[in-house]
Amino acid sequence: MGDIWRSNQREVIAVIVLAILLTLYFSTHPSGPTTYVMTIWANQCLILGLAAIAQFFAVIVRGIDLSVGAVMALTNCIASYLIIGTGLEVAGGILVVLAVGITCGLINGMLVVFGRIQPIVATLATGSLFLGIALLLRPTPGGSIDYDISDVMTLDIFGIPTTLIFALGIITFFWLPLRKTGLGTGLYAVGSSEQAAYQSGISVEKVRLASFALGGFFAALAGLFFSFVTTTGDAGIGPNFTLNSIAAVVLGGVLLRGGIGTLTGALAGAFILKTISSLMFFSGLPPLAQPLLEGLILAGAIAIGGADVLRVKNRLEVFGK
Amino acid sequence: MKKLLLGLSIATIATSSAFAETYHPECFVPAPGTSIIEKSAKEGPYKIAFVNGFAGNDWRIAAIQASKAWAARPENAANIEKFTVVSVGNDSSAQIAAIDNFIAAGYDAITFIAVNPTAFEPVIRRAERAGTVLVPFDNVLDSDKIVQINESQFALGKLKAQTVMDELGGTAKKILMVNGLPGNATDRDRRLGMMSVLEKVDGLDIVEVVGNWDTGTSQKVVADALATHGQFDAVVSQHGSAGTINALQAANHPIVPMGVDGENGVRMLMADLKIPGVSAAQAPAMSAVALEAAVSLLQGHSLPQTVYLPIPQVKSKNLQAGVNYFPDLPKSFNTGTGFPSCFKPFSPQELLGQSIDNT
Repeated sequence: MGDIWRSNQREVIAVIVLAILLTLYFSTHPSGPTTYVMTIWANQCLILGLAAIAQFFAVIVRGIDLSVGAVMALTNCIASYLIIGTGLEVAGGILVVLAVGITCGLINGMLVVFGRIQPIVATLATGSLFLGIALLLRPTPGGSIDYDISDVMTLDIFGIPTTLIFALGIITFFWLPLRKTGLGTGLYAVGSSEQAAYQSGISVEKVRLASFALGGFFAALAGLFFSFVTTTGDAGIGPNFTLNSIAAVVLGGVLLRGGIGTLTGALAGAFILKTISSLMFFSGLPPLAQPLLEGLILAGAIAIGGADVLRVKNRLEVFGK
Repeated sequence: MKKLLLGLSIATIATSSAFAETYHPECFVPAPGTSIIEKSAKEGPYKIAFVNGFAGNDWRIAAIQASKAWAARPENAANIEKFTVVSVGNDSSAQIAAIDNFIAAGYDAITFIAVNPTAFEPVIRRAERAGTVLVPFDNVLDSDKIVQINESQFALGKLKAQTVMDELGGTAKKILMVNGLPGNATDRDRRLGMMSVLEKVDGLDIVEVVGNWDTGTSQKVVADALATHGQFDAVVSQHGSAGTINALQAANHPIVPMGVDGENGVRMLMADLKIPGVSAAQAPAMSAVALEAAVSLLQGHSLPQTVYLPIPQVKSKNLQAGVNYFPDLPKSFNTGTGFPSCFKPFSPQELLGQSIDNT
């Protein structure tokens, strides 16, 4: 029991904070937790959640991805051309959008692995590049997304928001199995100590590449869900999401120095951030005080996560974990 | 046969008169070729929200203050159960979520300045289903299903150019045009409005510079234009006109007719220097007209789908301190405090008494 607590401490704290905020939100909302209100909330949260997962895959291998927002903008703009028409065309469009995301991630990964460029610099450069293409595709917002597929993805199934089911599906059918594979272990090994991972026979290069490709894939999914919610293409959506995705992973207990944290935590962090934003609708908080409040919660959550460093007798224990 | 013809002609009269009879037509002026929207009346008082996007400039803050000043007037307060303002930032998905939240909370009407002109089709359908009235203004949508409130940007540009040409008696050799932010539909339409007048003037040399709607940028580019082109017969400026006037003064340029924006500081300069011409702008008080439109729709009145408000304007000979400009208020104060044909313009005290916070 103690071990489970110690290895999942950060996620548990994040989930508890989320539960408190969510209760507060539903109790201040004039219509309470109806399916409609839950769906609005879950749609908002999942978009940032997917962006946070994209960021998680960069951070876990001791990197950072400043192109998450740009990949979202690019895939959103491509989606606004392709996800329309017959069922087959829509399905094809979704595949193309996801393939573009994976390609973007691989480009990032190759610059980092073979180009030996720091991730922060490499993704800053590719981010401008992806944004440039998005702007060429959609100089002004426009285009449209098939309404049927948008409705299916952004409404509810038997009263439960589809996006919430999707989020749970990612954890159950993607993350938990992945964690048990060699790649799952490799992510943590490379993030904790590249040297040790290399000497243990892990192919550091392959793990890095796979990690960035997964990041691109989830950034594309985020762009796709943004498209389903807004049903239009807009190249200007990026900057918000890049910064918030970093805030979300930190809030979810993922350490920026790599090797510690989980996808579930990143997702919970994103849900927390968006729930805080939603809280202001009916709380009467001034909009200019909102960034301050977000910052305070962010700082508080990181402080709680880092508090164990102060308590241990031997600091090496922390680094050895 | 005769009866049929008679019936037909009556029917034609009925439809054509229905066209003329939208509610309060001197305020809610129909745009050319627009349709009419009417909803069944709802019992008041109403719950209304204003969902703003970006909040970080003077115009948006003035718009928020005007909406609150409108809701505070006793004749409107009687119709309102609750009035809420939120600013969600430049994120269209967040603005959609905010509108959805107010629909879910049972609000009767929501006004908003759209972050993105194309992203609201699904939320319009959800509002329709819930019986919530949506009224976008300023940045309007590519939609013909809901009532939208704006000024005609083409008419605004045309007004400025026409006024300076009238001042010059219809002939001029060289004119300076200070444009806004390139690549923007508002800039494009205002420029086209100006060109529609200026292109018809024989032998007119039109010099265009990009002022980005910004006082500092305008001052710099106008100074450059004066250095290379010398003297102009007239100047038309979209916004940031204070910079344009300052640059002209710094270069000892003689006073010429000008078409300028509606900032308090610009009108102060216009009055002090006795510059002939017109001051007109996109007035932030249209946030209040949008609320007025929302309440009218809820009361069952019919309105044009696209409303082009009569542009608030002052010719320089009609400038009057304390009435249409205010020497004791900041230069950045926006004089677009109302649309006289809609309701009594707000006094500066009414506006400045309103906080910019969410309520």
